[in-house]
Amino acid sequence: MKAKKILIIDDDDRHLLTAKELLEEEGYLVMTHNLGFGSTNIIKAVRPDLVLLDVNMPALSGDKLATVISGQEATQNIPIVFYSSNDEDSLRRSVRETRVAGYICKGNILDLKNKVAYYLEQSGNCRTASRY
Amino acid sequence: MGERYMETAQTESPRVASLITSREKVAPLITVSVVGQQFMNTTDLDALSVVDCDEPVGLVTRQKFMLTLFRRYGFELYGKKRIIAIADTAPLIIHEEERLDVAMDKALERQDKDIYDEIIVVDDADRYKGYLSVKQMIMQQSTILANSVMQKEIARERARELERMSQVKSQFIANVTHELRSPVNAIIGLAEVMKISTEKGQTDRMKERLSLLTTSAINLRAIITNILDLSKIEAGKMEVFNDGFDLVPLLHEVAETARILAGGKPVDVNVTGTIGSLVILSDMVKVRQIMINLLSNAAKFTERGSITVDLTQGNGEVTISVSDTGIGIRREDGEKIFEAFGQVENAHIKQHEGTGLGLTITRNLVAMLGGRIAMSSSFGEGTTFTVTLPISPISH
Repeated sequence: MKAKKILIIDDDDRHLLTAKELLEEEGYLVMTHNLGFGSTNIIKAVRPDLVLLDVNMPALSGDKLATVISGQEATQNIPIVFYSSNDEDSLRRSVRETRVAGYICKGNILDLKNKVAYYLEQSGNCRTASRY
Repeated sequence: MGERYMETAQTESPRVASLITSREKVAPLITVSVVGQQFMNTTDLDALSVVDCDEPVGLVTRQKFMLTLFRRYGFELYGKKRIIAIADTAPLIIHEEERLDVAMDKALERQDKDIYDEIIVVDDADRYKGYLSVKQMIMQQSTILANSVMQKEIARERARELERMSQVKSQFIANVTHELRSPVNAIIGLAEVMKISTEKGQTDRMKERLSLLTTSAINLRAIITNILDLSKIEAGKMEVFNDGFDLVPLLHEVAETARILAGGKPVDVNVTGTIGSLVILSDMVKVRQIMINLLSNAAKFTERGSITVDLTQGNGEVTISVSDTGIGIRREDGEKIFEAFGQVENAHIKQHEGTGLGLTITRNLVAMLGGRIAMSSSFGEGTTFTVTLPISPISH
């Protein structure tokens, strides 16, 4: 089976490096982008199976970017999951406001692996379901 | 909140006991002519209560008394009578613990001709305590009303201020939460990928990750120190412990930290000026904190070029300047940088890491050590912070 493609968008290189490596260990094909701007073009070109999106980024925040991505026809079906150091309440609010698939808290490696697998599986079946 | 304040002001309407105008009284059997003398001699006497062995039995007001007496044949008709014969024998009597607003209501419920008559005040045993002037009660009441309107306005203003403070605080907490969690999560992630590299024996990768790990930990420590310092400063708990120490090795030590923080960026960190040693009497921990804050800022905002720490002395002072070739500070932002929360921007789109407290704390620490700090910058070219400290606190 072809490896699933994951795109990680984060302004912090440390988080890009660690998430990329941890997910590659799981057998995924991982691409990274360290700026909010230009993300939609990359998504159109790469067509990832899942986007991990940081929330706190200079100039263009993750929640704004999520709205942009899901607002465009070419990218609206790509599932987005927030990947952030914000507290969970604030992430839940962001998820509700932007209607992305869910969120993953940075710093919990097991959770990262499990949830990425879960969201990829979800996107294969039904894109609107969200258990988390 | 304002509404509640208003209610409080009303429930705290004063008791009439505190507003008694006069305790003047006259016995019921005194003749009208004697009372007339008393009113003539005491021009500010507005009324006299007629009191029989502590019990109020009537009221004589100056206005009504004079009208009766100076009417045609008034004096001849009444002069020799007892005062009780012409007194109002059913005056308004209220208890001393009655509230001013209630007393006012009762006073104004009277017939028009009696409305400005004084009110007699008694205690629990109905003993005479004095009388109230309606004129003064009105003045008192209007002062209370004016105050309550003012208090309401003050309370509103305070509520608005609290609202603003709480917004700034939530914004600050949101930023700090992220600023604390982000490096911790980076450290956890880096430790995990280190483990993977170790298992695979990738020595080069391990080295690179270890230095990222160190940088993250140093950044985190600086953030924690700043938060703790700010709370100490705000609580007035920050103390100064002066001791003799050599500035030169301290500056080299801090420069080394800046090199680590600059990471892989092409930035040279140099210490120039006084070489060898320069001993000052100051608080070493605070001087180090000041230098760490300035140098980590320089490292954060400089992508390429150099950071120079220069040390000079003269006039009983040492001057340490930290110059960088970084992004610089816009003229309009120059005023704001030392203000607490001055840098606090929306956490979701913050341009740079940090709590925005470093320079506020730095300025406080410099002031505590009897020194001063200045900044000059040209946008896009670089920034210089200059700290001047006394060589000994006694010399200043």
